Formats: sequence, C-alpha cells, structure tokens
Amino acid sequence: MDNLARAADYLNRCSKCGGCQAVCPLYQETRAEPYVARGKLFLLKNHLEGKLPLSAKMKEIMSLCLLCKACVNQCPNNIPVDQLVLGARQKIAQEKGISFVKKNVFQHLLKNNGRLTLAARLGWLYQRAGVQWLVRKSNILKVFGEEIVQKERLLPKMAKRPFRKQVPRFLTCSRPKLRVAYYTGCLTNFVYPATGHAVVNVLRRHDLEILIPEQWCCGIPALASGDEKTAAELARKNVEVFQRAGVDAVITDCASCGSMLKEYADLLGTPEAKAFAGKVLDFSQFLSEAVSFRAGEIEVPRLATYHDPCHLKRGQGVFEAPRRLIRKVPGLRFKEMKEPDRCCGAAGSFNLTYYNLAAKIGRRKVQNIRETGADFLVTGCPSCIMQLRHMLELENSPVQVLHLAELLSMTYSSQGQANESGRGCSHAVS
Amino acid sequence: MLQSSLINEIKKIVGKENVLATLEERLCYGYDSTPEAFLPDLVVRPDSAEQIQKIIKLANLHLFPVIPRGAGTGLSGGSLPVKGGVVLDLTRMNRILEIDEENLVAVVEPGVVTSHLQEEAEKRELFYPPDPASLKTSTIGGNVAECAGGPRAFKYGVTRDYVLGLEVVTPTGEILRTGGKTVKSVTGYDLIRLYTGSEGTLGIITKIILRLIPKPEAKETMMAVYERLDDAAKTVTLTIKRGIIPVTLELMDDLTIRCVENYLQIGLPLDAEAILIIEVDGPADLVKKQTEQVAELCRASGAREIKIARNEKEREEIWAARRAVSAAVVQIKPTKISEDIAVPRSQIPQMIRRLKEIASRYQLNLVIFGHAGDGNLHPNILCDQNDPEEMERVEKAIGELFQAAVELGGTLSGEHGIGTMKAPYLKLETGEAGYEVMRAIKKALDPNNILNPGKIFGSERNG
Repeated sequence: MDNLARAADYLNRCSKCGGCQAVCPLYQETRAEPYVARGKLFLLKNHLEGKLPLSAKMKEIMSLCLLCKACVNQCPNNIPVDQLVLGARQKIAQEKGISFVKKNVFQHLLKNNGRLTLAARLGWLYQRAGVQWLVRKSNILKVFGEEIVQKERLLPKMAKRPFRKQVPRFLTCSRPKLRVAYYTGCLTNFVYPATGHAVVNVLRRHDLEILIPEQWCCGIPALASGDEKTAAELARKNVEVFQRAGVDAVITDCASCGSMLKEYADLLGTPEAKAFAGKVLDFSQFLSEAVSFRAGEIEVPRLATYHDPCHLKRGQGVFEAPRRLIRKVPGLRFKEMKEPDRCCGAAGSFNLTYYNLAAKIGRRKVQNIRETGADFLVTGCPSCIMQLRHMLELENSPVQVLHLAELLSMTYSSQGQANESGRGCSHAVS
Repeated sequence: MLQSSLINEIKKIVGKENVLATLEERLCYGYDSTPEAFLPDLVVRPDSAEQIQKIIKLANLHLFPVIPRGAGTGLSGGSLPVKGGVVLDLTRMNRILEIDEENLVAVVEPGVVTSHLQEEAEKRELFYPPDPASLKTSTIGGNVAECAGGPRAFKYGVTRDYVLGLEVVTPTGEILRTGGKTVKSVTGYDLIRLYTGSEGTLGIITKIILRLIPKPEAKETMMAVYERLDDAAKTVTLTIKRGIIPVTLELMDDLTIRCVENYLQIGLPLDAEAILIIEVDGPADLVKKQTEQVAELCRASGAREIKIARNEKEREEIWAARRAVSAAVVQIKPTKISEDIAVPRSQIPQMIRRLKEIASRYQLNLVIFGHAGDGNLHPNILCDQNDPEEMERVEKAIGELFQAAVELGGTLSGEHGIGTMKAPYLKLETGEAGYEVMRAIKKALDPNNILNPGKIFGSERNG
C-alpha cells in the first residue's frame, strides 16, 4: 500500500503560492525552500512523475518536517502536507529500511512493555547511579561535539517506577456518573508520573470510575518514521484493550498520543477502531465538554500563559477548552503570549535528531513566553513540556512549566501543597 | 553545467553551506508561483553586496546566467532560471538596517519580508502602504524588482512611489548607489525608476531606502452588492467625482462570488453580478463622514445591499471573502493562469464585457476580480495544464485579452511584471521603438547578457 501515490491528487493542487513560508517554523529559521511545504510537495511531485529517486537527500529533506500542520492550516487549497510527508517517509522506509536503532526501538521495545520498563529503569540508573554525573563532569561527550552534550541534557530524568506501577488499575467512587479510561502515554508513564497523578487527582473530583489498563505506545514515533506496520500493530493492541474495558471515554494527557489515537479509525479502518477513536478525548476536552468542571478552592495567585501543542490545536481542534479551564483556576491571572500556537520545536524526537534547529525554533517560543512575564507556562503535551523545560533552563528562566492537569490539581485541598513542576513527585493515590 | 572548479570558487566566496548543488535542492529554486519550472545549475545564498559582486565578476568571466530571487512568489516567471545558471537566493539578506523616524525612511536589505517591514513601521506609528497579496511571504527586493502593487495602490500608489534610494550590483559587477534619504533628487537620469520594475535584468538590488508615511488614524470597511456590474462601475466613477479616494475598491464578478460562496458559505448573494469591497482611511472624523457619503453613493448607483463593518470581526469577515478568492476559484479547475491587465478605470465595464466575450468564445472558465479603483483587473483562467488542447485555447485567449487591454488604452501588466509569461506580447504595448529602446538599455548595461536572460524580451524566449 502506497499512501503517497494515493495522495498524488493533492500534489496537483499546490499552486506554489508560497503562503506556507509565512507560517513554517523550519522555513523561518532556515529560509531554505526545500524545508517548506511548497518545496517538499514539488519534490514529491517530481518523484511520482519518475523524475526523482528517493535519494538520501530526499530522506533528509522529508525528515526535516515538524508535522506541526501550520502549513496545512494556511494552505488555500487545503493540502494535507503532513500526511504527504508521512506517506513519503513510509515509502522511504519501505524502500531503504529504517535505521538499525529505530528498528529495534519500534519493533522490539515499543511492542513490549516489560522491555520498555527495563529500558526506562536503565535510564533511571544512568541518571541516579552517578554515571550521568561522571559523564557530565568528565565532559566525555564533548568528543562527539557540543550538540550531543546538549542532547544529553535535553533528556529528562526518568521516573524510578513507571506511573502505571504507582497507581491501581481501577479507581471508583460512591456514585459514578461515567466510566472512563486513562491513556497515560509513554512520557507520563516513564518520565512525568506527577502529570499522571495530577490527571487522576482532577478526574477523581468529578464522580468518575477510572480505569488505567495495561496499554501500549500509541505508535506515533513509528508512524512518523515511516514504520506504518508497527504503528498499526500497536493500534490494534490498544483498540483491543480499551474496547474490552467498556468505557464511555478514553482520556489522554498527551496531545501527540491523542491525535494519534483519534487517527486509529483511518489507520486500521475497522469498526472497532472507529468506535474506539470516537471515544478518545483530550483531558481538557473531557473536563470542559463531557463533565462540568469544578475547580478546587485553593487560590493560585500567579500569572499563567498557555502554549498550544500542534497536535492539540491543529491536530485535534482543541484550543478553547484548555483556556476555559485555566480561567477557572481561582486567583490565577491569564495572559496570552504572542504566537501561542507556534511549534516549540519538540515535534516528537525531532529535537533529538536536529537539536540545533529545534533549539532555534524553541528560542523564539521562549522569548514569547518570557515577554508575558508569566510565572507558569501551561500546556497539554509532555513532549512540549520536555522541550520547553530544557529551553527555559538554558536561559536560567524562573518560568515553571506545568501540564494543565498539574495546574488544575493545585486547586484541590487534599492534594497538599502545589507540587514543584512535578519532577520526582510520587504521592500515591489509593 | 558549471565546472566543479568554478563551484569551488563560489563556495570560497559565500561559504560551502550557502551553495546548494544537489538535484533536490536545485529543483526547489527553479519555480515561482506560475505553473512553470526550470532547473538551475546551482543555488547560491550570498550575504552581502561584495559577495554578489564577486559572483557577478565570475559570471562575466565564465559566461553563466545569474538569476536573482527573493521568496519566489512572482506571478510572471521573473525568477525562473529559464536558461539554467546560478540562482542567487537573496533571502539571507533580511536585515532592516534602519527605521529613521525623523526623515520617515526605512533602509532595508532585499530579503526583508514585506509584512515584517510593515509591522516594524507600524510599531512606530508609521506606514509602508504597498500590499501585494503575497506580502506575508514576498520580499521587498522582489517587490522593487517587479514594482509590486496591491489593493491599496489606488490611494497610496505602488512600490515605485516609495523607493527613494538603491544600492545595486550592476551586471558587470560594479556597486552603484543612487538616490538617498531625500524626497527630492534630480541629479541625472532617474536610475531608481529604471531599476524599479527591471525584473532582475539590469542589476541586483542589495539595499533599498524606502519612504514611510504616518499611519492613518482610522479606517472603515464596507461591502456593496450589485445586481448589475455596470452599477458597481458607476459607484467607482461617482465616488471619485465626489473627491473621495478610498484606500481600496475591490471588485468581484459573478463567477468569483459563486466560487467564494461555495467555498466559505458565508451567505454571499448567488444572483449578484458584482460585489465591491470599499475601505476608506484617514483622520477619524473624516473617515466617518466619507463612509456615510460612500454608502449613499452606492445606494444612488443601485447597490441592493450595503454592509458596513461595525467592528474588527466584521471587517475580517468582509475581507475573508476577498482573501478566499484564490483558493475558491481552483475548485473549477486546478491550473490558474493569473493575469493582471490594467485599463483606465472608466473602461472597466467595457473591459469586463470584452473578457467575458473572449472566455465564452474559447469556452474557458474565467473569473474576474481585482482593484477597480485603479483599473487593475485580475482575469484568472481556470484550466488544466495536463490538457494540451485546452492550454492551446488558453494561449489564444490570453493573446486576445492583452490586445483588448491595449486597445482600451491599458497595459499588459499592472503589478506582476512581464517575466516569461507576457514576454511574447511585450511589443503589443511598447511598439517597435519602445521595444528597441529597452533592448538597447539592456545591451548597454549587460553586454554579456548575464542577468536573468530570457525575460521581458519575447524574441529571446526561445533563443
């Protein structure tokens, strides 16, 4: 199956107006035509017409896309550029294969939660057992260049125990109105358990029965690298688990996971996948639309601003809900930043592959954040959180990056005191 | 093809990271916003006039074409490398060097994006009026080279009216400065006007001094709907007779209206023959008074409906209809041939009749919209470039529509330039003598035909 060929009609729709230049974060940093949608579409058109092979250069150009959909929004002819880029990556992966490391991660690690947990544990050991200290102190990574030193610092601290091992699989209350499942995502599970605890804490205030079943990576890392087969396998596993759970809604705390889960319908095309995808709601969307959100009474006398994750605003059309919720936090003031929906540069693992470019994009975001004078930067995607914390740290900024759930969770009394940006926090929910 | 020793020399000038030589990269610098595309031999991204000077000297020594390029959003083929050679991408030269609030001028490099300059000017309560539709992507350098216009041209003029000074690398590799920060200047020939609109054939613009004006205090926007096109035209004439010069007087014809309505579903009237979008600006008191006067004139000329925007949101809604045109019309067919003839404004109804007649005779889909205030119309032919029979009819129709424009005292191009698209028709307007003078200028300044060959002059198109 060749998604690219199927999308060929779209390529003819590009009038090469260049409107994408105005919104593409990569173009704005590089001002290089191959990296903007118009250039990529023109190359793909040439490829489909048999004039251009899928060379190493093509692979590089197609990998240089944040999939942030800013161009899709801007395009007067509604060309789904991100889908075409994914189609190209898939075809390149089929023809050329994917890298040894990625192949192992996708085909062995992601499909096996035991091994994934072990890998996270090794990461934790690296960071805690003094190895990281040694590596940083000795500057050994400098041998590989300054970029890799920065990349190593971008990696957040791994949680000692994955979030899902810290909470029961089933939480209920006296008179539940709805039965929901919580899809935790890998970053919350392995890196930011505090986000997970905050999500659970907020949900528990709304008369819900909450299930946190055993689950798998949503598949977006594999799909973004062109490995549709692995992505589909993971999708099938997740659909099966969550459909069996018989819930009214599947709640996600990760913009990228959420947009991916909602795409399972197209990816698998089965009635089960469609039914599942229809139940997926972002955390903010659920609180704002499915229940009537009740904030706690603890005041948060701070100034907050909000960053729209690409996969939440353009990926799922969710941008009003989080703002509505933020405004309900007692005592909190809200100030919109400039270009709130501009990509932060994280884009999955883009910031690991192209650290310097992602950092350039991130710096503009950080500047926009700092201009508001906010104490809190609130957002709805752990991947953005990882990038933004790193970027703000580089500038020694005091701005605290919070997941929306962490902010809302601060308002409830039994939560105890507001947690510090969430790291390492592991209060148990019984 | 360029020899590798030559490429190495160019790399020494601009740094190897600023020389793009792979097929993939070169393909991306061979197109603009027209349907055509060519393959350059090399793409070079210089950072200074001195680097450009060195490249031009090499070009004269080794005789390769050099094609200056901004954002590549031209609509006449001005930046297409039709004969291969080196595409000189000027987008790295994107510094606003100065905004001089005392003398009301801005000094900029050619790669500055037009809207960036406008934003910077507006922060200081200043205004740079030229507003080509591509202003969020197109560069000032490209705007000057093509003498770009836009909807506001009726009141505020086009790019040419704002250029006070230029730094130019000549086709033989000299650096020349002309004009400056003064409003007046009559020392010798007016080289600024010569270079403005020269489409990259006479020099590479490396620095631009632009005139700014104070930002107007207020503006009002309205939309008037007409059952008859002639009534819309009458409004235009009456408004100007009353001494009111609106900023914009945008016209959309019946087919354009239907396409936009089908696309946006915002309740545009499907039975109307024309819509006018009118904006007035200036001091707040005056704008209020003029808005009422214009609304009155619309009614008097037979507008069946007038909508005045009460707030920013309603203003946006009105402009959304106009902005959607380009996207909406490609629903008809995928290839859009966008022309930009201009006629004296009194001839607009006549021109539109001629256009419709030509389209029906050649059985083509034609939509007409444009800037009725300054007589600049955008007849857009919607066709399919993969259908050679249809493209042949398109070619013939274009020839006739140019002929009609010239007969009515108009011009082939109001704001897009000649480039490759209109080169075969140039003589229709210039006549033999005008054509020869232009050729003589080109030959005198660029004896080796280095800069942007194959443009403007039709006889060179295939030669």
